[in-house]
Amino acid sequence: MELETRPETFSIFRTQENDPACQSEQHLGQYYTVPPSHFHTVFPHGLPPRYQQQVKTFNEGCVMVRQPALELISHLKRADYSKPTLRYLLYGVKGSGKTMSLCHTVHYCSTQGWLVLHIPDAHLWVKNCKELLPSSYHASRFDQPIQASNWLRNFRTTNEHFLSKIKLRQRYVWTKRESTEEGRPLGELVDMGVSRVKSSSDVVGAVLKELRLQAGGTEGGFRLAVAVDGVNGLWGRTTLKKEDKSPVAPEELTLVHNLRKMINNDWCGGAVIATLSQTGSLYAPSSAYLPQELLGEEGFDSMDPFVPVPVSLYSEKEFESCYLYYLDRHWLQHSHSQTEEGKKEMIFLSNRNPSVLERLCAFL
Amino acid sequence: MFIKQAEQLKLEKQHGQVDSGHQGVIRPGRVFLVRWSRYNPYYLEPEPRKEVYHIPETELTPEQKEERELKSVRPIKAATNSVTSSVFNDPVLSKFVNMMMKDGDKIIAKGIITQTLENMKRKQVEKYHKAPEGKKAEIECNPYAIFHQALENCKPVIGLASIQKGGKFYQVPIPLTDNRRRFLAMKWMITECRDNKHRRTLMYEKLSQELLAAFSKEGNVVKRKHELHKMAESNRAYAHYRWW
Repeated sequence: MELETRPETFSIFRTQENDPACQSEQHLGQYYTVPPSHFHTVFPHGLPPRYQQQVKTFNEGCVMVRQPALELISHLKRADYSKPTLRYLLYGVKGSGKTMSLCHTVHYCSTQGWLVLHIPDAHLWVKNCKELLPSSYHASRFDQPIQASNWLRNFRTTNEHFLSKIKLRQRYVWTKRESTEEGRPLGELVDMGVSRVKSSSDVVGAVLKELRLQAGGTEGGFRLAVAVDGVNGLWGRTTLKKEDKSPVAPEELTLVHNLRKMINNDWCGGAVIATLSQTGSLYAPSSAYLPQELLGEEGFDSMDPFVPVPVSLYSEKEFESCYLYYLDRHWLQHSHSQTEEGKKEMIFLSNRNPSVLERLCAFL
Repeated sequence: MFIKQAEQLKLEKQHGQVDSGHQGVIRPGRVFLVRWSRYNPYYLEPEPRKEVYHIPETELTPEQKEERELKSVRPIKAATNSVTSSVFNDPVLSKFVNMMMKDGDKIIAKGIITQTLENMKRKQVEKYHKAPEGKKAEIECNPYAIFHQALENCKPVIGLASIQKGGKFYQVPIPLTDNRRRFLAMKWMITECRDNKHRRTLMYEKLSQELLAAFSKEGNVVKRKHELHKMAESNRAYAHYRWW
């Protein structure tokens, strides 16, 4: 897919400032373009599916600069990275733009040279798993080879340049004949995980542990951003069953166990940015959107203390901007959608909810 | 249908209504289904369009003033669910949705149509953005325009009727009314998309392909229209069997 680069023209809803680090309040409500070269490396797997379709149709990837993302980026700029990690939690009603704000922040971290650990949806790890292998490392846990190897492949695409620089600090033994020595580059570990699917979940655990140990280091130190979408899936129930039809608790899955260790704030040198999501969640009512309701007691206690970042529906200015963007991209085709009457009707029908507006404009 | 009407009348008689002909009363806590019952001819049709009510007093013509006075004394029928005062309301599209509907499930039918429109728009807009500057003006992106034009291209001009003469039945070419032409075009489109598709293609995908093909005068539905025209042309000799 070739994304076009356009000549610079002045417009009220676009900004030429494509670097998230330099965006400020004056750019609120405006769209910035993610450079086509970055697109496939930074976002192999983070974006919502409807947004991916939109990028394919419009031949460009434009993200709106909104208040929650700017707030998060300013926190990240001013945080002290020698202290234990801060956890940021994006919450809001369904369709208000939490995942897109997360992706904006991930783009910022990527441009600043951080190592980004982006888990696109934690719910995918607790449901619909076809193969559940008992773990070789720990008797009572279960491995998910397909999910782990997919994630490792995408992780490799995002962080190519880090893989050769980071060296392992410990020897890992996989089988009687295979082991990875101390001092080997991380890339080798990841490649092994992608090729040998059976031990990929343990490889994920090893990768997370190494990154946690090395993130705050002074020699060759890098900053680590852990971006988890749908973090409420890590606590709660799963729909997976063991062979004797008894339900699997999330702690019994290797991937979830290791990710929970990552979200704890006992390491320093990075940040944890998480999003709540009701859409993929299991056994949660559809009207629930607050952290207390979706995380449950266990989850809230583990995430506590965190910095809550509320994501609201579009303001009037943001709605205008979105409307003008769709007009510019020739997406609003109905003759009446371009009149004042039609616009008022769209505001009424969508209540300025970003995803509802997107679905409405899709067939207008 | 007659059983329902009889039940309706029985219910209303039980609740002490005036005449068996008068309908349309809502008791507190109970709503009667009245739209498909027979209304007394006294009742007037509802006016769903917003523009009519926005005309200020001074600009009304004498007929409109008379109509308004009549509406203030006569009762008005209940509006159907499919009629809205929205600016995006399209009667032809509503008719198509109703024809596609199975077992009264309008939600699924409407969902399929909106997905079709979105799919058509996506394909065309993608083509538009990838096309060089000169070709951009020729690409039609409006799914509603494509739908209407495709339907126009599928409407037959002349139809065939089976007329009995001297013990045998002949296929006689006859003129068609506008409604009949529109119905045939929609019916052909829907049957084509239901029958001639791969097991795994979804309805909206197939519909969008057929509509885009009909827009450029290709595809199976337009072929069927041409075959009907050819049959009518070949049966020209029997045209005098028609007596109306």
